[in-house]
Amino acid sequence: MDDALVRAGRALRLVLLIALALLFLVPFYLLVRNGLAGEEDITSPEWTFFPRQVRWGNVGELFADPSVPFARSLLNSALIAVATTLGTLLLASLAGYGLARIPYRHANKVFYAVLGTLLVPAAVTFVPSFVLVSSLGWISTLRGLIVPTLFPAFACFVFRQYFLGFPRELEDAAQVDGLGYWRTYWLVVVPGARPVFAAVGTIVFLGAWNSFLWPLVIGQDQSAWTVQVALSSFTTAQVVRLHELFVAAAVSILPLLLVFLCFQRWIVAGVERSGID
Amino acid sequence: MTIRRRDLLAAGVGAGVLTACGSNTGRGGGGSGPELAQWYHQYGEPGTERAVRRYAAGFKKARVSVQWRPGNYDQQTAAALLTDSGPDVFEVNGPTLDQIRGGQVLDLTELVAKVKDDFNPAVLTPKTHDGRVYAIPQVIDMQMLYYRKSLLEDAGVEPPTTLDALVDAAHRLTGDKVKGLFLGNDGGAGVLGGTPLYAAGFRFVGDDGEVGFDDPAAARTLGKLHRLYADKSLLLGAPSDWADPSAFVQGLTAMQWTGLWALPRVREELGDDFGVLPFPRDGSQGRPSVPVGAYGAAVSARSRHKETAARYVQWLWVERTDYQEDFALSYGFHIPARISLAEKATALKDGPAADAVRFTTDHGYAQPLLWTPASQTAYQDALSRIIKDGAGPERELRAVVRKVSAELDRVKKTS
Amino acid sequence: MRRRGALWFWVFVGPFALGLALFTYVPLLWSVTLSFFDAHNTVTPTRFVGLDNYTAMLRDRAFVDSLRTFLVFTAFIVPVTYVFSLSLALMVNRLRTARAFFRSVFFLPAACSYVVAALIWKMSLFSGVRFGLANSVLGWFGGDPVAWLSTTDPPWYWLVIVTVRLWLQAGFYMILFLAGLQRIDPALYEAAAVDGARPGWTVLRHITLPQLRATSVAVVLLLVINAFQAFDEFYNLLSDARGYPPYARPPLVYLYYTALGQGQNLGLGSAGAVILALVIAVVTLGQARWLRLGRTDADG
Repeated sequence: MDDALVRAGRALRLVLLIALALLFLVPFYLLVRNGLAGEEDITSPEWTFFPRQVRWGNVGELFADPSVPFARSLLNSALIAVATTLGTLLLASLAGYGLARIPYRHANKVFYAVLGTLLVPAAVTFVPSFVLVSSLGWISTLRGLIVPTLFPAFACFVFRQYFLGFPRELEDAAQVDGLGYWRTYWLVVVPGARPVFAAVGTIVFLGAWNSFLWPLVIGQDQSAWTVQVALSSFTTAQVVRLHELFVAAAVSILPLLLVFLCFQRWIVAGVERSGID
Repeated sequence: MTIRRRDLLAAGVGAGVLTACGSNTGRGGGGSGPELAQWYHQYGEPGTERAVRRYAAGFKKARVSVQWRPGNYDQQTAAALLTDSGPDVFEVNGPTLDQIRGGQVLDLTELVAKVKDDFNPAVLTPKTHDGRVYAIPQVIDMQMLYYRKSLLEDAGVEPPTTLDALVDAAHRLTGDKVKGLFLGNDGGAGVLGGTPLYAAGFRFVGDDGEVGFDDPAAARTLGKLHRLYADKSLLLGAPSDWADPSAFVQGLTAMQWTGLWALPRVREELGDDFGVLPFPRDGSQGRPSVPVGAYGAAVSARSRHKETAARYVQWLWVERTDYQEDFALSYGFHIPARISLAEKATALKDGPAADAVRFTTDHGYAQPLLWTPASQTAYQDALSRIIKDGAGPERELRAVVRKVSAELDRVKKTS
Repeated sequence: MRRRGALWFWVFVGPFALGLALFTYVPLLWSVTLSFFDAHNTVTPTRFVGLDNYTAMLRDRAFVDSLRTFLVFTAFIVPVTYVFSLSLALMVNRLRTARAFFRSVFFLPAACSYVVAALIWKMSLFSGVRFGLANSVLGWFGGDPVAWLSTTDPPWYWLVIVTVRLWLQAGFYMILFLAGLQRIDPALYEAAAVDGARPGWTVLRHITLPQLRATSVAVVLLLVINAFQAFDEFYNLLSDARGYPPYARPPLVYLYYTALGQGQNLGLGSAGAVILALVIAVVTLGQARWLRLGRTDADG
């Protein structure tokens, strides 16, 4: 009888999970359905589960629209996301290693100064950051969109925690071999720390690709728009073309979903091993 | 850091990858001399962008690059004026009083001195502070109520001439598939603004510089708008907002509040089956009202070529009446800001377009300069709560009056 | 030797520290400075006004309303997201087959931007007209279409906001919980089984939850900060060309309009930001303290 109960519980759980999974996939389905439909299909009062006529031409139309530089914004987003990810990984991992391993009298103070910024919400620095960047003349430039975002305290924190738990023996051996900090770092530490690089890198990449508020205020020029800003402009435009909106949204998340599916096991591994929490 | 990106680029210095990718000055124009950046918001009408680029190319004393900006334009310009990477010449739905007092825009009084009387005072006045002109009106925009004649006839409803009649009509026109009235997806607080107040005989700011609607009757008028919402007569959550006539021409609503600019499309899709009205009056002191506004051309005080920029504005918006006429009338519907041009315009001589011109002359009001964005936010919040939450209009309006008085005091104190 | 250490320390940490100082500490100090000045349309103000901006902000009904709304919102969304993502993690963790599949499905939305999600929710799922999915479903059962985002009575917009947030965030926190669950020593469960504890509520309460405490503290902390700093999905769901409605308005959205909108009152905006930061600090620290107290209670 107990067995039957356990089995029933298990079946119930599976049904629940399948139902939830379907619900979670609905928005993706809507994206594709609306993106490949004609305007009349979307606005038809009779719900159709699939467009009566699948219009792949919507994709071409999107890139041909002169009012929104969509291809350019995709390129910008890609450049920004890649540069931000590489830059952050380099700077934050170096700092994390220094804080974890190099003996220095004031290391703790520096660490707390870094950690403290985690408590400061972006809201506080938001206006003056904008002004600072504009006084540097960086409005509507990729520099303005990238450089100020290269210093997330969380990345430095994660790296430090990870390196603290890194087996010391390897590094000691390297030191004995006469490698200084610099070469030890590149030849021994970095190759051994791939999971945490992958985990932090993926999170930073996603954040950079999806970031909205900063590019909205910094990327004023159409030529500096990111894909999120371009999308947002579709929803605030005077004339809304629904199919264009949805096909744009679908195109914008496609590269990301691919990156994400490839790297998600790294994120999971990274979270498990480095204790991001 | 006063060196700007485009100067660096022009000099060929420091044009690293990042700079090159990040800046596109869209340089154009046939002139020589300094380079000017001119900003426009994104007009919905096809052909406008090509037209303004053509005008810019005609100016010989500078190379003018036109930037066409979709999205929240007012916010973009306001932010850009804080920095050195903003425009030299820009159209502005203002400027605001604080922009003028902060010295962010140049005094253009001398440029328009000779033709001042030719500009429609309704739109020149809000660009004027202490007798000085800070922007040159380009064209007049106005909004009005569009209604489907056939739907009103079917329901036996007369075109409403009072606010009560409008509420009643909207209710009777609402059916299973069609709503009575579309005032925007927010229920009207955004687009109506002060229009109902003016229709009840009040104003944002009185001649004495005090709050112009501190009156129980004003609260009563705004309270009536809640009926529209409570009756479920309003179309809400439509895919496109009030500025786009789609909901109206697609038959989602029998009446819609939208701009004169929508008239060509409405006529194309509905033929003669529509009419236009001003916002109907309310109360014994009331008279119909329509909001009018104008984008004006202004010169940024941070421009590095102020004189050339001012000269360009004068050339385009004072001297080249041929361009002004083309801009107002060839791409969608606007009323020319110059009275002499408006009188010549044959497109505005009959039908609903002529009605619109008449509404503008007889019933038009423009937001005064003293009505600051802070006042607007407070008022709009209150109006939204009155319409949608059924909040007590008297109490809401009292809070607005307090806030607006404080703003008016602040503005007067330091000016 | 020590000198050499200091040199290498700054070689490694210097670039990051410098960037952090320039792009976080400088704006921070600047912001605090601006908040004591009358800074209309300028970032180099000259008129010192003391605490005027702070009193004005605290008397500003719209700002106080939005703070209050978001205290309530936080108190609601944090436990809901916590319970939901923990449940997902527990269910996925117990699966023997197709575990990777379910994990991916729930985690996938984390890759979706708030802008895209807001768009799907606003224009399709919860569109106010007949052709929205929610309204179509209502229609099959004979219901009338609902203007989900425009209706304030009842406030349906919260349904839209809460579902979009859960969809976007639950997967990420589920991953954190999954990692936490992996770290629990199986011996603990075996011991419990020997003691006769049934798998289920008892085990969850006495083994799983206490073992997950570190993860829980982190998740709750992240959720709280996240709730107060909400911007993207709200802005994209509810704003229009004329501004933002007076309901469900996050403090950050209000400050965005105050400081960077046409109003350009940077002093007032900065004061509001500082107040917001203080509120967040108080809530986070208070809650961290409370959670730690909870631990001593449980341990003792």
